[in-house]
Amino acid sequence: MLGYICKRLLLTLPTLLLVAVAVFLIIRLIPGDPAVVLLGEGADAASIAGVRADLGLDRPLPVQFFSWFGHALRGDLGRSIVSGEPVGASILQHFGITAAVVLVAVTFATLIAAAAGLIAAWRRNTAIDLAVVGAATVVLAVPSFWLGLVLLLLFGLKLGWLPFVGYVPFSESAGQAVLFLVLPVVTLTITESGVLTRMMRASSIDVLQLDYVTHARAKGLSERAVLVRHVFPNAFAPTLTLVGLTLGHLLGGIAVIETVFTLPGLGRLMVDSVLARDYPVVQGCLLFTAVVYVVVNLLVDLCYPIFDPRVTAR
Amino acid sequence: MAVAHTLKTLAVCGVLLLGCAIAWARAGEVPRAPLLRARLNSDIVSTNPGTRRDENTDGVLLHIVEGLVASREDGSVGPMLASRWSISADGRVYTFALRPEVMFHNGAPLTSAEVVWSLKRYLKPETRWRCLEVFGPTGIARVESISAPDPHTVVVTLDRAAPMFLTTLARADCGGTGITHPASVAADGSWITPIGTGPFQLGEWRHNQFVQLKRFPLYAALPGPRDGNTGGKHALVDELRFLIIPDSSAARAALVRGSLDIIDNLAPSELMGIRGRTDLQFQSVPILDCYTVLIQTQDPALQDVRVRTAIALTIDAVGLTKAITRGNGSANNSPIPVASPFHHSVEAQLRQVNVAKARELLKAGGYDGHAIKLVTSRRDPQMFDAAVVIQAMAAEAGLQLQIDTVDWPAHLSRYIAGTYQLMVQSFSARLDPALSFGVFIGDKREEPRKVWDTPRSRELFDQTLQTADPASRQAVFDTLTRDFLEEVPAVVLYNSSHLSVVRSAVIGHQNWVSAQPRLWGVSLR
Repeated sequence: MLGYICKRLLLTLPTLLLVAVAVFLIIRLIPGDPAVVLLGEGADAASIAGVRADLGLDRPLPVQFFSWFGHALRGDLGRSIVSGEPVGASILQHFGITAAVVLVAVTFATLIAAAAGLIAAWRRNTAIDLAVVGAATVVLAVPSFWLGLVLLLLFGLKLGWLPFVGYVPFSESAGQAVLFLVLPVVTLTITESGVLTRMMRASSIDVLQLDYVTHARAKGLSERAVLVRHVFPNAFAPTLTLVGLTLGHLLGGIAVIETVFTLPGLGRLMVDSVLARDYPVVQGCLLFTAVVYVVVNLLVDLCYPIFDPRVTAR
Repeated sequence: MAVAHTLKTLAVCGVLLLGCAIAWARAGEVPRAPLLRARLNSDIVSTNPGTRRDENTDGVLLHIVEGLVASREDGSVGPMLASRWSISADGRVYTFALRPEVMFHNGAPLTSAEVVWSLKRYLKPETRWRCLEVFGPTGIARVESISAPDPHTVVVTLDRAAPMFLTTLARADCGGTGITHPASVAADGSWITPIGTGPFQLGEWRHNQFVQLKRFPLYAALPGPRDGNTGGKHALVDELRFLIIPDSSAARAALVRGSLDIIDNLAPSELMGIRGRTDLQFQSVPILDCYTVLIQTQDPALQDVRVRTAIALTIDAVGLTKAITRGNGSANNSPIPVASPFHHSVEAQLRQVNVAKARELLKAGGYDGHAIKLVTSRRDPQMFDAAVVIQAMAAEAGLQLQIDTVDWPAHLSRYIAGTYQLMVQSFSARLDPALSFGVFIGDKREEPRKVWDTPRSRELFDQTLQTADPASRQAVFDTLTRDFLEEVPAVVLYNSSHLSVVRSAVIGHQNWVSAQPRLWGVSLR
């Protein structure tokens, strides 16, 4: 197992190098000079040149890249052009908030999807199936910002049950932190449960038609035992892959939800940094996201044998 | 059935747990301290006045730092840390008498040593002071010396007379040339925190969340009522919190809910849904900003003044202003804003739309029907809306405009480099008309962002910088306005209003011609 993990991690190194090069070049291809953004509309040529020199942007691109990448390999992602803060610390601080929302929301979404998809497949072409498929389709079609605003207006404004502007860290008040995270978590849970439910339902239908399920029923097992012990593990494996992809994608930032609920998460940090052409932060965020993506997918792969022992045998 | 039963049980448990969590969290809520909460649509850039800055940064920091002088409500300059000043007969030597009762936030008294240190620091190139160029070769004057003959007197000597000197010191984008204590800066010259003399001191800046200011208990207010950025600046709340809320819908909901007390600088379109509510107060004050269409006069398609005039003749400034500002703006074709005391009959002239004449001029100017690109940005919704309206108006005269929407950094970079044909651009409030003309007039070789580069305009502009007498300045401004309308290096569209919405519990909030938030003198019922 350890060898497998090491091999997988080694294989990710070329990917991360490619990501680093691509990120470095792409952000510089977008028009807009960070020095101009920093100095504003009245900037004169001398000040712009001075700031560019301060930031090292006047050096040749390869020199800039190797300087940044060399530091990144040593764990130093540089300092933000805008705030002057260390990028690594800033990313970790913002990532904590995103991770809290995403992990809880994806866990809830997976639980809902696993149950709803399995039941819909089991009761295929009945009113229950129709209701689950209909709900999943509606959820898939609803944009997260719209859903977020509706929940904000309903539970935040009309009913006044929950706060919706700002954020309190767990270290300050765990209770307040939970309250501030309820609406973003609910929004993301609903949004993500749609696609997971569809996937779980489809794979469950496939598994329910297999011979060993018929055999299990013929043995006289209860429907509950058939579903839980025989159908669920096999049907859940493809959904787990999707959960991994979703997690990796969402941990890279949920900018829309973070903007609607004023959460200072990784997505907002990235959007703000792109709009300010804060190169070190954008580069750091994207590299960090790539690492998260790789790690999450590795973890998902390692979980596979729990549901499908054949994976280990292969 | 069993699965369904388990799910039901889980759902009930989930709801109960959520209810308990809410109740538990609510039980821990602390009664609200005297705290005033205002919205910022984006985070501040730094706490270093006049250096790494934007409008939000200026607005917040002017609660913390103060300069020798500050802008009054009418745009003139009034005393702040200097109780009075005198100017030598040749206009070069400014002698400031400091107010003896002023203290810094660290408890140290204000003396001329700190003022000299602050001013010299601003003039060092490595400080990257926004207004350094004003005291450079192309600026109003060079600073020859700054000295302190005694602990309460500061003398600044310029290389030539500069009537705009005090106005420049008071500019918000220059950080009000705020005087800070040397302990604000580390030994290596890096910035630590602003130790100023303002009515509020910096409490906590939590990036992308809030900036919290605390009342400075030792603040020595000037006598009299508040007046622009000067006058009696009394902190009437213990804490002031600028909440960073990028989404306007969330901000409006927070205001209605009571999680926010003030939304400043609303776009007219953002009034939707809250206008008419009795628990909110609406304020609209005309400000000294300006929305324009800049014209790249060196572009082959726009070199001919007849083509530029034709573009101007297609734009119905009154209709455009009404549509975009929802009645909260003033149509104006002069660079001098409507709210300026220098806006008189010459400046009040508005071009009448004349499509037939525009067609004639386009033909005479050799316009061949090719699309002309109009650059705009969505950062300010009014800029994008203006581009759409202008495109439609121009089409009536057969002028084909193609809108090129870019994000703000790209927009700003193209503005600075002058790489556009037409560009919708807004300029923040300038309290002196010379500064309003200054955004247009200049040497294109040195500053490609300048659109009006003629010897006469530059000569007249220099006169506005060298003349102190209001009547003489008015005459020069009138001439500049006439020339501007004739030569059409840009089309000024309108001046907007400072729109604010505050909860009815807020007392004393009052907008003024500058668009910055001003939360001293404001309290809560």
